[in-house]
Amino acid sequence: MRRRTIKGLAVTATGALLIAGCSGGEGESATAADGRTALTVSVWNIEGTPEFNAEFDAYEEANPDIDIQPVDILADDYPEKVTAMLAGGDTTDVLTMKNVVDYARYASRGQLQDITELAESAPEGLEGLDAFDQDGKYFALPYRQDFWALYYNKGLFEELGLEVPAELTWEEYADLAKQITEEAAAAGITPAEGEKVYGTYHQIWRSLVHATAAAQTGGDQLSGEYEFFEPYYEWALDVQDAGATLDFATANSQQVTYRTMFTTEQAAMLPMGSWFIGALLQSKAAGESDVDWGIAKLPQASAGEDVTFGSPTAFAVNKNARSADAAADFVEWAAGPEGAKAVASVGATPALQSEEITEAFFALDGMPQDETSKAAFEPGEVALEMPVSEHTSDIDQILMEEHELIMTGSVPLEEGIAEMNRRVQDEVLSR
Amino acid sequence: MATATATPAGTRSKKPAGTYSNKRQVRRNTLIGWSFLLPNFLGFALLTLVPVVATFGIAFTEWDSYSTPEFLGLDNFERLLTDNNFRTALLNTLYYAAGHIPITLAVSLGLALLLNRKLRGVNFFRTAAFFPYITSIVAVAVVWNMLFNPSQGPVNQLLTGLGIDNPPGWTSSPQWAMPAVIITSVWRDMGYYMILFLAGLQTVPPELYEAAKMDGANAWQRFRNVTLPSLRPTTFFVLMMLTIGSFKVFDLIVVMTDGGPGRSTLVLSQLIYREGIVNGRFGYSSAISLVLFVLVLGVSILQYRRNQKLEA
Amino acid sequence: MMATLTGAPPGTAPAQLQKAGPPRGPSRRAGGLGRIVGYLLLVVVALAVMIPFAWMISSSLKNNNQVFTVPIKWIPEELKLSNYTEIWSRIPLLTYLRNSAFLAVTITFLQVLTGSFAAYGFTKVRFPGRDALFLAYIATIAVPWQAYMIPQYIMMRKAGLTNTHLALILLQAFSAFGVFLMRQYYQSVPDEIVEAARIDGLSEWAIYRRIMLPLSVPAIASLSLLTFVNTWNDYMGPFIYLTDNKLWTVQLGLRSFVGQY
Repeated sequence: MRRRTIKGLAVTATGALLIAGCSGGEGESATAADGRTALTVSVWNIEGTPEFNAEFDAYEEANPDIDIQPVDILADDYPEKVTAMLAGGDTTDVLTMKNVVDYARYASRGQLQDITELAESAPEGLEGLDAFDQDGKYFALPYRQDFWALYYNKGLFEELGLEVPAELTWEEYADLAKQITEEAAAAGITPAEGEKVYGTYHQIWRSLVHATAAAQTGGDQLSGEYEFFEPYYEWALDVQDAGATLDFATANSQQVTYRTMFTTEQAAMLPMGSWFIGALLQSKAAGESDVDWGIAKLPQASAGEDVTFGSPTAFAVNKNARSADAAADFVEWAAGPEGAKAVASVGATPALQSEEITEAFFALDGMPQDETSKAAFEPGEVALEMPVSEHTSDIDQILMEEHELIMTGSVPLEEGIAEMNRRVQDEVLSR
Repeated sequence: MATATATPAGTRSKKPAGTYSNKRQVRRNTLIGWSFLLPNFLGFALLTLVPVVATFGIAFTEWDSYSTPEFLGLDNFERLLTDNNFRTALLNTLYYAAGHIPITLAVSLGLALLLNRKLRGVNFFRTAAFFPYITSIVAVAVVWNMLFNPSQGPVNQLLTGLGIDNPPGWTSSPQWAMPAVIITSVWRDMGYYMILFLAGLQTVPPELYEAAKMDGANAWQRFRNVTLPSLRPTTFFVLMMLTIGSFKVFDLIVVMTDGGPGRSTLVLSQLIYREGIVNGRFGYSSAISLVLFVLVLGVSILQYRRNQKLEA
Repeated sequence: MMATLTGAPPGTAPAQLQKAGPPRGPSRRAGGLGRIVGYLLLVVVALAVMIPFAWMISSSLKNNNQVFTVPIKWIPEELKLSNYTEIWSRIPLLTYLRNSAFLAVTITFLQVLTGSFAAYGFTKVRFPGRDALFLAYIATIAVPWQAYMIPQYIMMRKAGLTNTHLALILLQAFSAFGVFLMRQYYQSVPDEIVEAARIDGLSEWAIYRRIMLPLSVPAIASLSLLTFVNTWNDYMGPFIYLTDNKLWTVQLGLRSFVGQY
């Protein structure tokens, strides 16, 4: 009797193996209906990320024998889906690397093709390429490089009779944020949404404090010693305690976005990544917002410095790609001047920088034309947002948790930093 | 007494369905039994049982989802013992379960009893109670976070109005985030389990109540001696699903607090997801799943035993 | 748990057979005061429950950058009804609705059918190994999907089933939940009814179809409702398995629509 049950299970299991067994590859041919070579590219949110279509259209125009077929994935859980796809042996030709940490993971598992040769012949001025160096080998080329700057609402500054400073230290920035908050309240300026005009808005991401501190002080976010965060936290907490930004707890629990705060004119300033330029141009073109905006350099620790941080976005070739040659050609093209032009044409910041591209960028409809904005577009030094190592994501998680506790006031600053040191050393580095 | 009517022990069949009368009978029954199970079992075994068993195998390896798994023996489990995140997540999960299970059980049973009457508009109320379950979870998180807002939220305004000087910080405080999550989850799940209870209540024959009434039983006695015993299969089912659901809680916590502030609401499923899908340590993540599985199994067996004892 | 006879004594069975379906509770009339208090309680609960839904409706009438604001604005300054027209032109909502409906209906149907079928085997037929098997069923519910998602995906991929609706149907139609629910319900049906039918010469399949199915209408209704809602609202399953936009469900479509801003 029991044997029967076991036999039943055995039969079923064999069946499962059989089904699994007769799978095999999915055929070699990757030709579209009209005889062109089909090239599949994984992307996120293709409608909301216009540089994808700009690049694909330009590439297809230059290569009439290629038919690019985007594989659209929702942005929120993009890395998880790509992980699942690759685990199953997916054959999508080109994979977009949303961040460097995931890239390092796919590369170390051997899921990406070695394109070191392409990296060696990459054009001069390709920013962010170093981030993809894996012990001398390269498995992806960046096509886009974002960096952080300070956005400001020109209209609000004018209304209050304030000048937009071209350069600020963090201390000056904090004072300015407080000043704007007070003066806007005194002048009775109220935004269409929300309660009042804040001097600035701090997105809840830890990078605003941590990555800035690391970039501007030379501190290492993987070190397990985080005293260098301290002055940056002091500025951030100072602004928050003075009510010059929406408090962290509320912003976090109500899922407030920087986009809402800035486009509904609730915040006069906003430290944010350059990807926001494209979004601002888009929402202005769609008639959703008429904010008069500009950018300035990110505030610095002391006057005269010019360091910001950012992260590159890259294309890689899948190890299981069906059209590997075409895929490699596309990756190389996207990192080159033609690709950069396509990226810049929709207000995104290409990895390849040149005067020509900057000019084309500022010629876009809706771009600010002042000198401060143009200067901010060419930052002196762009540090990598978060260094890559096998510990990156674990440390990132710990820093995020402790950041939350410090910013919600659950833990005093010094205790929070001590806890960061302790946890990173005990739970990650000493393992 | 009403008890006698509820469990008519005397009428219990001496020869329940399909006893082992002889070998042929057993074989026949086995065939018939399997013919009923097979359509579901095939799908279940292939698509759930096999991957689950595979996952438990992976728990003893190091696996990145792509390369060949490397056998580690018990290393993953040893690591669990010293992992701070695991301990925190385990305690938080137990905390959540201890709050969520009894309250949801009481509230959903209460709702079901309330809505099993011939009230005017009862269908509207039933639908309303089920609404939280079908409302988008993002909306649930945003609105409850607004209600729980420490300074301007209605919850704390009410508490201050009642004379409480120092109302809790709810989702922005490490001490109060879990109670806030539990309250929200009870609110969200009550309609779901109410539906299950309603189906069960409809199996209670009205004749039993009539008989109990004639015996002079009051409302509470009728509930104790008629409703509860008749509902036992349903209650057992609800309790099991609630237990399993509480130990596996994921979605609501992810959208409401994402484990924060700090790690104050980090739960096991979240850790499993984070270690596996996000960090690519599938062996370790499977080991956590195995522990969670054993934990739930233990609790379930306790409940199962208790249920059998009550039924005997 | 074999011969569970909880609840109904045999004498009530015929009555149940005839009247199965409509809600039947204690037929006592609540007293005047109790009734008012009950109503008040219900109205309060009903209102409390509607708040997030009100937020959803209010958000649907706003510009995207006005949705998450502090404090929440319940009545938008200007009603943006165009969201409702726009969503039809921006994304193929009709296709998504059709896909969701197809999946939800198919999965619900299969779940109820195979689940109640198996539940009959688990309650009314006695054979060796039955209880161990049942325990295996319940036990798998205890494993979170996040844990075996990848092995399951790899299997599906090897079988060439990823990016098909079939994958989701296979994944969700045979869940242990339905079997468990139906089994618990069948337990409250007295074995005497089944035994009597056997003596009358009915085959097991006829007993299932002509006696158990009609008896279990309330349970089937609950199971259908819960399965339908769960399938309709499922996000992660379709997200991982469906790549082709033509196959997307409403949940995926709505998220992509939100992401477009």
